[in-house]
Amino acid sequence: MPLLALLIFVPAAAGLACLLVRSRRVMSALGGLAYLTTLALGIALLPQVLDRGVVTEWNEFLCADALSAWMVLLISVVSLSTSLYAGRYFQRDLDAKSVTPGRVREFFVLTPLFVAGMFLVVLANNLGVMWFAVEATALSSVLLVALYNRKTSLEAAWKYIILGSLGLALALFGTVFLYAAAVGPHASEKLPSFNWSHLITVAPQFDHGLIKLAFVFALIGYGTKAGLAPMHTWLPDAHSEAPSPTSAMLSGVSLKIALYALLRFHILTTACLHSDFSRYFLLGFGLFSMFLAPPFILVQKNLKRMLAYSSLEHVGLICTGFALNTPVTIFGALLHMGYHALTKPVLFFAAGNIHQTFHSLEFRVIGCGVVKVLPVTVLLMGLAALAAIGLPPFGLFLSELTIISGGVASHQTTISLLVVVALLASFCGILQQLTRILLGARKPGDLASDARRMDGVPAMVLLLGSLLLFSVWLPAPLLELLHQAAAIIGGKP
Amino acid sequence: MNAPTSTEIGSQFITFFAAGMLVFQLLLVVQRMLLTNIRLFALQSLLLAAIAGVVAYVHNAPHVYVVAVLTIIGKVVFLPWLLDRQVRRIGITQEIEPLLNAPTSMLLCGGLTLLGYILTRQFTAMERLGNNTLGIAMTLVLTGFFLMFNRRKAITQVLALLTVENGVMLAAIALTTYGMPLVVELGIFFDVMVAVMVLGLLVYRIRESFDSMDTSKLNQLKG
Amino acid sequence: MNLNPLAIVLQTALLLLLAPLMSGIIKNWKAKLQNRRGPRIWQPYSDIIKFLRKDMVISEHASWVFSFAPYIVFLSALLAGLMVPMLTAQAPLSLFGGVLAVVGLLALGRFFLALGGLDPGSAFGGMGSSREMTIAAIAEPAMMLAIFTVAIGAGSTDLSHMVQASQGPVWKLFNPTHAMAFVALFIVLLAETGRIPVDNPATHLELTMIHEAMLLEYSGRYLALMEWGASIKQLVLMTLLANVFLPVGIATDTSPAALGISVVAFGAKLLVLAAEVVLVETTNAKLRLFRVPDLLSAAFVLATLALLSSFLFG
Repeated sequence: MPLLALLIFVPAAAGLACLLVRSRRVMSALGGLAYLTTLALGIALLPQVLDRGVVTEWNEFLCADALSAWMVLLISVVSLSTSLYAGRYFQRDLDAKSVTPGRVREFFVLTPLFVAGMFLVVLANNLGVMWFAVEATALSSVLLVALYNRKTSLEAAWKYIILGSLGLALALFGTVFLYAAAVGPHASEKLPSFNWSHLITVAPQFDHGLIKLAFVFALIGYGTKAGLAPMHTWLPDAHSEAPSPTSAMLSGVSLKIALYALLRFHILTTACLHSDFSRYFLLGFGLFSMFLAPPFILVQKNLKRMLAYSSLEHVGLICTGFALNTPVTIFGALLHMGYHALTKPVLFFAAGNIHQTFHSLEFRVIGCGVVKVLPVTVLLMGLAALAAIGLPPFGLFLSELTIISGGVASHQTTISLLVVVALLASFCGILQQLTRILLGARKPGDLASDARRMDGVPAMVLLLGSLLLFSVWLPAPLLELLHQAAAIIGGKP
Repeated sequence: MNAPTSTEIGSQFITFFAAGMLVFQLLLVVQRMLLTNIRLFALQSLLLAAIAGVVAYVHNAPHVYVVAVLTIIGKVVFLPWLLDRQVRRIGITQEIEPLLNAPTSMLLCGGLTLLGYILTRQFTAMERLGNNTLGIAMTLVLTGFFLMFNRRKAITQVLALLTVENGVMLAAIALTTYGMPLVVELGIFFDVMVAVMVLGLLVYRIRESFDSMDTSKLNQLKG
Repeated sequence: MNLNPLAIVLQTALLLLLAPLMSGIIKNWKAKLQNRRGPRIWQPYSDIIKFLRKDMVISEHASWVFSFAPYIVFLSALLAGLMVPMLTAQAPLSLFGGVLAVVGLLALGRFFLALGGLDPGSAFGGMGSSREMTIAAIAEPAMMLAIFTVAIGAGSTDLSHMVQASQGPVWKLFNPTHAMAFVALFIVLLAETGRIPVDNPATHLELTMIHEAMLLEYSGRYLALMEWGASIKQLVLMTLLANVFLPVGIATDTSPAALGISVVAFGAKLLVLAAEVVLVETTNAKLRLFRVPDLLSAAFVLATLALLSSFLFG
């Protein structure tokens, strides 16, 4: 069964089918069905990858190793939960007339295409096709960001596409340099293949100067899409102006996809140079992102922007984890990717609920004591927030601890200390901001209670439930998968 | 004197066309009429296609002809037509005062050219055809960036993005004998087309909403 | 010093006789392109003869500079023209410094032109002079850089050497250095000869005239000399462009066959250049004065890039 090809075609077909469908319910169902299928395919992929190490299809055009398989799982889980949430969310928006049916259809057509693009990124073997897929995800998500067509949405979408395209042009530059580095020693011959599976075997023969240049451009380029500071300026705008389901997907997986592309370059560079060149760059950008986020979190007045900065923090942490480059920290970073992907969407879903109830995301409009108005939402949001800031028993605590202890164990104590400081800062920031609005008493005259307060709860429960489950019990196959993925990144074949 | 080999003549012409691309880029930086800018971009892409054609001829690589044809169809005919239609539909044909005035911009771009050459000096030995076309490619990327930040009209920012793409394609041609694999070239081609269409749609919506293409008005979201 | 009396006399005659013809051709073709009939191409000759015969009216505030200037303008242009290879690769006169002397002589002419505009004390004249100097401040460096680019390639500033060094297969001339220097020098040509888009040679409106403003007080014999000098300068610059950047067909010896080819080639190149000037004049509008430095700084940067390219591509 062509698993990999189906992973890409099923969501793409669902998205295109939504063009022909009238009813919103059918569109939502199509999407949900597609993502359920991809989740099943992803789970089916798992034993195959563990068995054979690498699964390829279409004459090596599509290729899945352990890292890809892990990303596939993340994408499918987040998409599924988002589609569960999106149905009710847009129903409410349609009722409140803040969006037209045409735009809702746009959402249901573009989102599966966005997901298909993400699958192509992690499954493409050819690095040029990988670039094409990242660009495809960027283009499909731009219109999603601009969905509400407000002035601020258009501004966010414009910044997103301009900075994203600029970044991707640089990433293409890096890809070209990589190609030249690979061709280099063979003078006038054609490169046998630009596939990653081939490149990793001949990496030591690359031209050293060109590969360094390639990595730097790829870092700046894909780093822009991953939201690494200082190229992150589009991130708070895009993630806050997009509708909550899209924000959840953007924060939850699309940042990680860009990081995945960057990782492929990092692995090739390290395999070629056998030095810490790429590692130090990753470290610099990762730490910078981690330290840039907390001050912005503290001064935020908009709920979703604050959550976007929190994503910045987490992406920085994941990047730092990879940069510390020991099997333990890499394992921790991969784990963190997964747990974050389970947590962040919950926060965005809750924020979406709050937005629809209060018709604003500004803290001063929401006031305090939201718990009185939306008790269930706030409960779930509170749990997710505790998870996001790294409290036990949630998995993020575990992954952060793994990264930090791995850093200390490999004598990179200063960096681990810096990581701890940054995490503490954002911990305080988010805690302070959220308790201010969630808890406390409502002022007289504010919204008393909301009839639709159970909206979106199933999706949030699903995610939080999985988070709790996987925090305490990681099934053996998953553990093995993560170990294999860590080995790929760490440079052991 | 020996008859020049086709490689020599080809090299000469490629260098000539690449320098032409650079001159058009500099003109883009100082020129303020939007319609003229679009034509300058079309001419620059035509030179890029010509370079691809010469490479295909000298190295006997038929699939590079495909790249040349794609460039002509896409960047010389279709995209300028699309952007032209957009500009006419919106009705704004002149750029507003840029951040840096024309002479300063020119001098800065001269400096960026020098920077581009310095950055790629160590790789000139790896070039297959033409001298220093990699330097020009890097300069196109750098000046494209500068153009993006110096100008405020949305369409000019789209043009700046496209010139950066041109620079990247030039680098691809300069560094690799047979160009990138065809599937990659096709992918890049379609990406650029779709990107500009999406951008065009956004520009239209921005114009409808803000009543202007001035991107400096897009300053609500801060912090 | 290389003096050949016959060559000097012949080149002088060529300069004197050909210059007004070039002006006439450009004016006529411009009119044709604008769908008018335009003046005959021999009209400038009639104009010069007419001015030479007329009386002069000199302002009572003018000094000896006013009377001196036309002769300087005329003679400096002529002398500069003698140092530029026209029909043969060897120019009749080659003073120390080669192309630097040419530029210097043209600058001397411009200097006295500006002084002559200031001298009578009229408002228009002073205004024209100041505008001319503004333009010259950026045009001159651009011109020098453009010519130096070729000089560096030839290893000498002597124009004859430069022309001889550029001899070779035609396709070798299509290199970026040459192309960029050519474009830069072309823009400088437009500036130096007062053509659109820098200056309108047919206007007498206060807002728009530069060259004409400086000539406003001149009449009779002086005006003839000034106009003739200006057209000689135009011919010199065009010859520079034609023969230094595209020395195709220029005679390297004095055999009749080579000279014949040279005459034809030279004529053809001049006509092509004239056509380009006419095209640029007709398709562009005159730039506002404070935008002219933009254009000229573009020429300057182009010339700098050309110089840069000669090191990097060479």
